[in-house]
Amino acid sequence: MLAATTMATTHPSSCPSSQPSAPEPRLTLEGRLEDLAEVWPWIEALARHYSIPARTEYAIHLCLEEALSNVVRHGYTEQANQSIVIECASSGAKEMVFTIEDQAPPFDPLAYRHAGDGPALASIAELEPGGQGIRLMRKFADRVSWERLPNGNRLTLAFSIAS
Amino acid sequence: MQISTEEMPGGITRVALDGRMDIAGAAAVDLKMNVVAGSAQKLIIDMQKVEFLGSMGLRSIVLPARAVHSRGGKVVLLGPNEMVESVLKTSGIDSLLPIRRDLNDAIAALG
Repeated sequence: MLAATTMATTHPSSCPSSQPSAPEPRLTLEGRLEDLAEVWPWIEALARHYSIPARTEYAIHLCLEEALSNVVRHGYTEQANQSIVIECASSGAKEMVFTIEDQAPPFDPLAYRHAGDGPALASIAELEPGGQGIRLMRKFADRVSWERLPNGNRLTLAFSIAS
Repeated sequence: MQISTEEMPGGITRVALDGRMDIAGAAAVDLKMNVVAGSAQKLIIDMQKVEFLGSMGLRSIVLPARAVHSRGGKVVLLGPNEMVESVLKTSGIDSLLPIRRDLNDAIAALG
């Protein structure tokens, strides 16, 4: 069973909830890989509610899956006693902004470079199978920023939803 | 996530993926992909019904493809949707594994 829970928030910049049955603007996950399955239904609900285009919905899922699995696998090394909080806010009707906060050791994904940033690969043996995620985040999110928190990290991913 | 395999004329193996290749989807197909890659010499990975491909899903394609290549075999990717293709291209995989829209072109690419 999934142990992830959703919690309401009264944060003033949270996604507007003027329409009925607005999805919760905050999702709290335990630091387990299997709990990431909670994220997709949440994104689907947000996409329906805010009429997010399918391509953007894909990009959001791609980037959140990558960012969250990095926290679970590398930040928390799959120990389940730490949580991850994802918050969604909208900036007008133009942008969806997701912030992901953890209590993991500092890790700035924007400072991380890997072999895939270099010249074209000569063979598939050179392709790092797990090293593509940060490259994907940079490509599919419109903005990515990272801040160190006193006791963790905050990664911000923004996606344009203007039609 | 569904996976099925088909042996085609000319010693070609076609493995068809159907569903979302997110973390759970990748985990669901990994074992069978590895089994297929353990013997296939000419492999078509049919992605026409893949709705989503994330970085864990990429890994589920790269590792089996690497196994086939290491034995001198060939791998071609068939029919990814626009967003899935964009993920493949961002990762650089498309420079190593040809992407074809059409089954006949995929068969031709396996030479």
